[in-house]
Amino acid sequence: MKKMLWMTALSAGAVVVATNAYAGSNVDPETDRKQLVEFLMAKAPKVPFEDYRLGAYIYSADKRSQYEAVNEFPPYLDHIDAGEALWEKDKAIYEKCFGSDVSKIRPKYPYFDDDRGEVITLELAINECRKNAGLKPFKWAKGDIAKLSAYLAYNARGQKINVSINSEGAKKAYNAGRDLFTKPRGQLNLSCAKCHAYNPGRRARANTLSPALGHTTHFPVYRAKWSDLGTLHRRYNGCMKNMRWDPKTVGGPQSVAFRNLEFFEAYLSNGLEIDGPDYRE
Amino acid sequence: MKNKLIHALAATAVATTMMAAPASSSAGEVNAKVVAEGKKLAFSRSQGNCLACHMIKGGTLPGNIGPALIAMKLRYPDKQKLRDKIWGTPELEVKYTMMPPFGRHAILSEEQIDKIVEYIYTL
Ligand code: HEC
Ligand code: HEC
Repeated sequence: MKKMLWMTALSAGAVVVATNAYAGSNVDPETDRKQLVEFLMAKAPKVPFEDYRLGAYIYSADKRSQYEAVNEFPPYLDHIDAGEALWEKDKAIYEKCFGSDVSKIRPKYPYFDDDRGEVITLELAINECRKNAGLKPFKWAKGDIAKLSAYLAYNARGQKINVSINSEGAKKAYNAGRDLFTKPRGQLNLSCAKCHAYNPGRRARANTLSPALGHTTHFPVYRAKWSDLGTLHRRYNGCMKNMRWDPKTVGGPQSVAFRNLEFFEAYLSNGLEIDGPDYRE
Repeated sequence: MKNKLIHALAATAVATTMMAAPASSSAGEVNAKVVAEGKKLAFSRSQGNCLACHMIKGGTLPGNIGPALIAMKLRYPDKQKLRDKIWGTPELEVKYTMMPPFGRHAILSEEQIDKIVEYIYTL
């Protein structure tokens, strides 16, 4: 009875008081992922799987062609160059942490570290590497961290997201991320799932909602609204604030909760190409 | 805190206007004013923001997450039930719905909800 599957959420209409529906879940990640993919693809049968890296643009030919026009001269090229310069500047230190092949770094993250018992993201690893070498860690959401991350994503373009879950700890982290994603929170009583799992393709005012599948493929992202590059966790912050839910209540960027959320979303996106950095409205 | 104060002030303002209204003013005029205020709340992005999810006649760039708000008298012969729906009484809540419980979560004040109901009921 505990199974809160993506599908059951769709059969709305039934007037039920949502009391225990979101009680701590313990689902099998692979079954869960497959169900979400199946559900989304049934809703939009013409969209091929590999296109899910394009977010909300898959639902609108108009918006998609605007996006393609912007990407003829992408606004993030300078940021990739700046990221490369940052890499070169402290290359010896980074190579000790990550190896010297810059195309092999991004695809390793996020992963669940069984010894440490927590999810390690690329941005966390960058700052830990800096700290251990006596360098000042970068700020989390934007600026140098996003540029360096963009450089590493760019070099890994075309490789596929491949997050593995092979231990109880990793499964727990997935489920913790999933809980955060599905539970209604904040003043508006919204959840990430309400927008990005149950209603993708619909519009909130003029904004088409993207599906969770593909959320992590293309970050960091250059957003027109920011006129700037930002990390995935910067975007999480923004959506939580829109829910009128203070991200600090779960710790904010690179907290355990945010990393679990990224781990969950990245696992859902398994099999999609890494495509960062990219442009969004 | 700040919200409460604003609500209280808004409530006083309404009460004052109603009392100050000339004796000749008909119930119809008072109601037209309430309806206009309700409409403003429903369209405002920072308050009701109903347009984020519902098509409403006269509203620009509506979302399409919820059903169009139209023919409300027909669909809600019982006005109280419409108010309860917007207020967010748990018995009327649709599972996994995006519809925010405006009263239960204190997103809007009781007076604001009343005004919105008056407006929505004209649609
Ligand atoms: C009320 C609706 C709503 C809720 C709730 C919401 N979001 Fe969003 N989200 C949006 C909109 C609108 C956008 C911009 C359009 C798009 O890409 O979906 C967006 C964008 C995103 C993106 C970027 C997608 C891309 O392709 O670049 C991510 C990632 C994201 N949201 C994650 C979350 C997470 C995680 C939560 C919960 C903590 C959440 N959202 C809650 C509406 C919402
Ligand atoms: C974030 C999305 C969202 C916002 C904002 C929103 N609604 Fe809704 N509303 C929905 C959805 C989805 C439904 C359908 C499911 C349900 O009944 O909960 C709905 C249902 C309703 C219904 C019942 C319609 C019917 O056919 O029975 C009414 C009435 C309503 N909303 C009024 C409002 C009003 C008034 C506001 C603003 C003060 C508002 N809504 C704001 C999403 C929203």
